[in-house]
Amino acid sequence: MAHAVISCLHANLAAVEAVLDDIDQQGIETITCLGDLVGYGPQPNEVVELVRQRAIPTCQGCWDEDIIDGLNACECSYPSQLAERRGHLAHQWTEAKMTEDNKAFLASLPTSLRRDKLLFVHGSPNSQHEYLLPDMNAFAALERVETAGAETLFCGHTHQPYVRELRGGSIRVRVQHHDSSSSEEQEMTLPMRRIVNAGSVGEPRHGNTQATYVIHDEATGDLTIREVNYDVAKTCQAIIDAGLPEVFAWRLSHGFEYAERADDASHVCER
Amino acid sequence: MERWALVSGLGGDLEVYEQIQRELKKSRGLERLFVLGDLIGPRHNSDALLKRLQEPERGDLQPECIYGWWEEQLLAERGYRGERTAEALRINHGNDAVEGLLTSVDSGHMTWLASLQFGFIELDCALLHGSSADVGDELKPTSSPLILLDRLTRLDVNRLFTARSAQQFRLDLNGGAIDSHIKDLNGEQNQQQAAPKRSVIGIGSGELFSLYAPGSDHIEFLKAGGKPVSRGLGFG
Ligand SMILES: [Zn+2]
Ligand SMILES: [Zn+2]
Repeated sequence: MAHAVISCLHANLAAVEAVLDDIDQQGIETITCLGDLVGYGPQPNEVVELVRQRAIPTCQGCWDEDIIDGLNACECSYPSQLAERRGHLAHQWTEAKMTEDNKAFLASLPTSLRRDKLLFVHGSPNSQHEYLLPDMNAFAALERVETAGAETLFCGHTHQPYVRELRGGSIRVRVQHHDSSSSEEQEMTLPMRRIVNAGSVGEPRHGNTQATYVIHDEATGDLTIREVNYDVAKTCQAIIDAGLPEVFAWRLSHGFEYAERADDASHVCER
Repeated sequence: MERWALVSGLGGDLEVYEQIQRELKKSRGLERLFVLGDLIGPRHNSDALLKRLQEPERGDLQPECIYGWWEEQLLAERGYRGERTAEALRINHGNDAVEGLLTSVDSGHMTWLASLQFGFIELDCALLHGSSADVGDELKPTSSPLILLDRLTRLDVNRLFTARSAQQFRLDLNGGAIDSHIKDLNGEQNQQQAAPKRSVIGIGSGELFSLYAPGSDHIEFLKAGGKPVSRGLGFG
């Protein structure tokens, strides 16, 4: 059975509708959402209400958490200082615009969802704010999946979709105890694990303007990254009409690449 | 050659600390003494030890201290950790243990305890109570090598000294590799990554302490008042 995983909707209603249409057209009934329903975009209430109406199981994203808890996040919430300044404006706008009922919904979201050996989170199993970038140290990436007791970890937050398979791993270990003078080296075989980043529906940053999400066929194990066209100009106009920073519209119309990458990708969130 | 003494888990026991100081005095080449947390504990009144750590006696090797799990509990309960209280202690040992801890430390020491750091980075070594993830993180010889590697990677150090498990051990990650296959919208890519050679060292607790020579990477496990537990655990 195939299921779809979407992330980072970011209050972009046109993109969310187009992606849900694409999923429906393929006859896929199970959808999981990895959070960031709001932030940057002009339709936070509309997007939250659509997700609620379709009863899509959703985990809480970094934006969803910050709208509820306030901006007390670790600096890694934003990939750069410039992004942080713009982000604050969007935060205030979204906070003021959202209904109490929709905020309560965001507050009620779990930080992770689990189905058998599949784990769904926004950033990483450690934090909604941790970036699992595709070039993260492979052992550290495997540790995130393995420690969480999953075989496949679905995440978002980076807005760049990828499928990463970690396999054939081993570590050699030698232990010396205080009371023994001998020590033996052992080789530990590491399990195969996968990290699947669903990209972003409403704020793509993979160098293209199309909305992205992933489809996972559980029978074959196949993972497909989908790109979906939507009315970008419509959302851009709504961003400008709403008085949000124009750079968000510019970014949507360029699929902004690289500039919003984390300043320090290895930063470990200790929040 | 520079050498460090690594001590933890004194739990308010001034006698053990004095015994260790006596033995360190006899040991040549020692330059620094690191006390990796759990200066206080539930079994002894800690005031005399805390005073001695803050005001060393003549001839004492000057202690450099960080906070440990018990200090964290006390600091939380006394309002030094925002909204948090000594929840972990309460859950594991009950309310009496929290009360006991509160009475074992005079409030005059709180400012000093609150000023202690989480850990030290010296050369390529992290000196911590638990790990880079948490003060209560218990790293043991049986811990998953992936977790150990992660704790080393977080601080980008080659040696991580830990005390929380109270065990004396040295675990060397001696290499290895992993394949990473990445597929994105630009195509597919294979990478192989080698595991770095790094070590986690458990320094012991209470009368069990350790001496480390960063120049030669030589660790010696000792017991105060006893013979060396072992010698010559250098894997250079
Ligand atoms: Zn996002
Ligand atoms: Zn996010």
